[in-house]
Amino acid sequence: MNAATTTPLQSDVLLPERLGDLTGLNEFGLAGELLSTLIGAVIVGSLILAMTAVAGPWAKRKITASFTDRISINQIGPAGIGIIIADAVRMLSKENIIPENADRPAYDLAPIVIVGSALLGFAVIPMGSGIQLADPEVGLAFAFAVAGIASIGLVMAGYSSGNKYSLLGGLRAVAQNVAYEIPLVVTGMSVVLFAGSLQMSTIVEAQAEPLVDLGVVAIPQWYALVNPFAFVLFLIANFAEVGRNPFDMPEAPAELVAGYQTEYSSVYFVLVYLGEFLHIFLGGAIISTIFLGGPAGPGPAALGIVWFTLKIWGVFFLTQWLRSAVPRVRIDQLIEIGWKGLLVLSFANLGLTAAIVGVIA
Amino acid sequence: MSTGTESEVEPELTQPASGTDEAELEALLGDRAIAREEHLNAPGFVINPNDVQAVLSDLRDEAGYDHLSCVTAQQYEDRYESIYHLKKFADPTDELSIVVPTTTENPVSQSAEPVFRTADWHEREAYDLIGVEYEGHPDLRRILLPETWQGHPLSKDYDQEKPQLVTLTEHQNPIQPDHREADSDTMFLNIGPHHPATHGVLHVETVLDGETVADVEPDIGYLHRCEEQMCQSGTYRHQIMPYPDRWDYVSAGLLNEWAYARAIEDLADVEVPEYAQVIRTMGAELCRIASHMLALGTFALDVYGEFTATFMYTFRDREVIQDLLEDLTGQRMMFNYFRVGGVAWDLPEPREEFFAQARDFLDELPAKVAEYHDLITGNEIFQTRCIDTGVLEPDVAKSYGCTGPVVRGSGVDYDLRRDDPYGYYDQLDWDVITRDGCDNYARVLCRMEEVEESAKIIEQCLDLLEEWPEDERDVQANVPRTLKPDADTEIYRAVEGAKGELGIYIRSDGTDKPGRFKIRSPCFSNLQALAEMSEGEYIPDLIASLGSLDIVLGEVDR
Repeated sequence: MNAATTTPLQSDVLLPERLGDLTGLNEFGLAGELLSTLIGAVIVGSLILAMTAVAGPWAKRKITASFTDRISINQIGPAGIGIIIADAVRMLSKENIIPENADRPAYDLAPIVIVGSALLGFAVIPMGSGIQLADPEVGLAFAFAVAGIASIGLVMAGYSSGNKYSLLGGLRAVAQNVAYEIPLVVTGMSVVLFAGSLQMSTIVEAQAEPLVDLGVVAIPQWYALVNPFAFVLFLIANFAEVGRNPFDMPEAPAELVAGYQTEYSSVYFVLVYLGEFLHIFLGGAIISTIFLGGPAGPGPAALGIVWFTLKIWGVFFLTQWLRSAVPRVRIDQLIEIGWKGLLVLSFANLGLTAAIVGVIA
Repeated sequence: MSTGTESEVEPELTQPASGTDEAELEALLGDRAIAREEHLNAPGFVINPNDVQAVLSDLRDEAGYDHLSCVTAQQYEDRYESIYHLKKFADPTDELSIVVPTTTENPVSQSAEPVFRTADWHEREAYDLIGVEYEGHPDLRRILLPETWQGHPLSKDYDQEKPQLVTLTEHQNPIQPDHREADSDTMFLNIGPHHPATHGVLHVETVLDGETVADVEPDIGYLHRCEEQMCQSGTYRHQIMPYPDRWDYVSAGLLNEWAYARAIEDLADVEVPEYAQVIRTMGAELCRIASHMLALGTFALDVYGEFTATFMYTFRDREVIQDLLEDLTGQRMMFNYFRVGGVAWDLPEPREEFFAQARDFLDELPAKVAEYHDLITGNEIFQTRCIDTGVLEPDVAKSYGCTGPVVRGSGVDYDLRRDDPYGYYDQLDWDVITRDGCDNYARVLCRMEEVEESAKIIEQCLDLLEEWPEDERDVQANVPRTLKPDADTEIYRAVEGAKGELGIYIRSDGTDKPGRFKIRSPCFSNLQALAEMSEGEYIPDLIASLGSLDIVLGEVDR
């Protein structure tokens, strides 16, 4: 880190501060600050949860249906969008069946850990239009760290269910996350080398400069364009990290029934299921932030949140596409790809980036 | 003809059947052949219960009878009898029946399992349903019925009227044991009977060492519906034909019906009009395509996961065939279209519309198959998953009596449509597909290419049907209202079903109902090979291998 990054550029005011100004809560000192932070968290959380609510019961079905030559839900509301409410009522009113052999409270905590870890990650994501809860200097490291907590949740869910399929799913989840977290973080580091900072806002700002100026349009310096190799590596590692095809080993329907989530029902199942989508979106958010210029896009800066949402959904769409079209690799092949392929490539990428950045600088 | 009791046997009386050098066989068996029998399909030798292994291994090694097609057990008034139906993979018309009688008091016969591994399950079934015991069998337990069942349902002294309740408490609880041995570090895992990858109610008892499969044992019988017994209580003429539809119920109905039709037509000496044979051939091949489409789609489910597009694509294309079959037979699933001596009715009117629809389907098929190759077999991940997994060596496949795409994927050139011709197949131009890969990939490719061959057959049938003179369109032969084949006539006839050799053994007892009706299910034999294919591999490969065998539990359990 050089000296420039230790005094970060705080051009944007963070969401809690702005809320504090708007409501006048700032005058109440620490308590007011806390309250405005809480309100900000509720706003961001609702935004993210609303997105998952649309994605889980509705968009996923519609996307999969169009890939698989079906119509899917179309009865409740326009294009069946009302299924979100119907599904919520259905899922929440079901009996929560807890297996006799379940190891409580680990069994009860696992869904919360899975959901919580993903939600925490969104705290440091700059979503544009001034929506960012916190902007610590170690933003990217924080996002990786909290996303990684999810594997603990998966293991908890796996072993505490008292089901052998769950156990196998949990074990697979650990093996997979360990194998793919390292390439993920190492590839992320190559971006940090470009930006010279771990701070999310700095990374986004660094991408705003034009890469090529064509006169009419300036192509921005998004790191996906600067280093497409790293972008692809990161995408692949991310799919493994969130456990989607071709790497959906922890669940592996048809092999492990439903892996770690086999024994979850009702509210717990909603949480586990929600957690999965949250992690896909968090993965999408990190990708958008460090590779796709975050909330950047044409038009006024106020539209940032729209662009950001579109980018996240693009990544989500890609996961669903892969799920419909690509076979699942075997567990040993998965580990082999992770340790022998991605890890080596990501270190090569890091070394190369370091050399190039060093020469230019 | 059956010999009745052993004392009445006169070996010299029988006429030699074509294709088999009987003198050589007699020389080979020597004194061990205590009598002769003559079945309609094959010459029979009666041997002592103690000579089973020696005789079968001699016949396999010296005379080349390397295919134990089926084991039929039955009880007469004075004895039990096990019949080993032998064939050659090189020439399935060269058949031989080895008849092993045992006394009613002590029905113990030597097991054939050390010679033919397929005898394992077949003999367990004979023990389960008839009550013949096999000495030296590695694991003589019940196979189709619960282990606490009382009596043997197809034996003479069994009370068919008395219901039996088998409660779960006296039944072994499959969820209980965690480890086979208390201090082992392996894990015992029940895959099924309710599991997304078992394609029905199959229970695979698996021992895992980490993710590696250490031991596999399929537990079947959950879908046993006494099909053999039901067929034995129906009349030949009309009451049996609806049952075959219910064996392999995933759109292979006409192929199954043909198995019964072929057996009864040869038994009762019925000549089927050529026109009806062409319709049968066309209908059967439509069923084969539908069945292979389903096999491909469900295999994709096993390898891709539940949200794959391939599954729906295959169902979309299979739906077109279902529509055609519905037009032809009036039904989508339980066709009941074949009759003894022909088919139920002619093609649907207007014929031009049916032909146009069928030709549309055939025209679009190549593009669809190409799409599947793009989507599935050309995919690198699919290839890494399927090539060299679930390996089934040709010798092992033969020993297990595997047939159909399973054995052809192991490079064994065996297809009854060509090797033991029936219907109109021998007059049409098509090829038997074999693949040397012996792995899951080879079996998938084999099915995909067979789809194209079937399309060729259908196309030629359509040409024939279109140009068939209007006054020669006989769909049924003149068959008596009641069929009563001569008493103690025995026949074993097989056709090439979607899954392999589907055979029927019938012994007539002089009435209008069969004395013994035995179904040789291809899936039953193929499924036995699962352990051989998946032990030492990973769980995903076990699932993929199971999918590549393309079993239908309705046919396994009957």
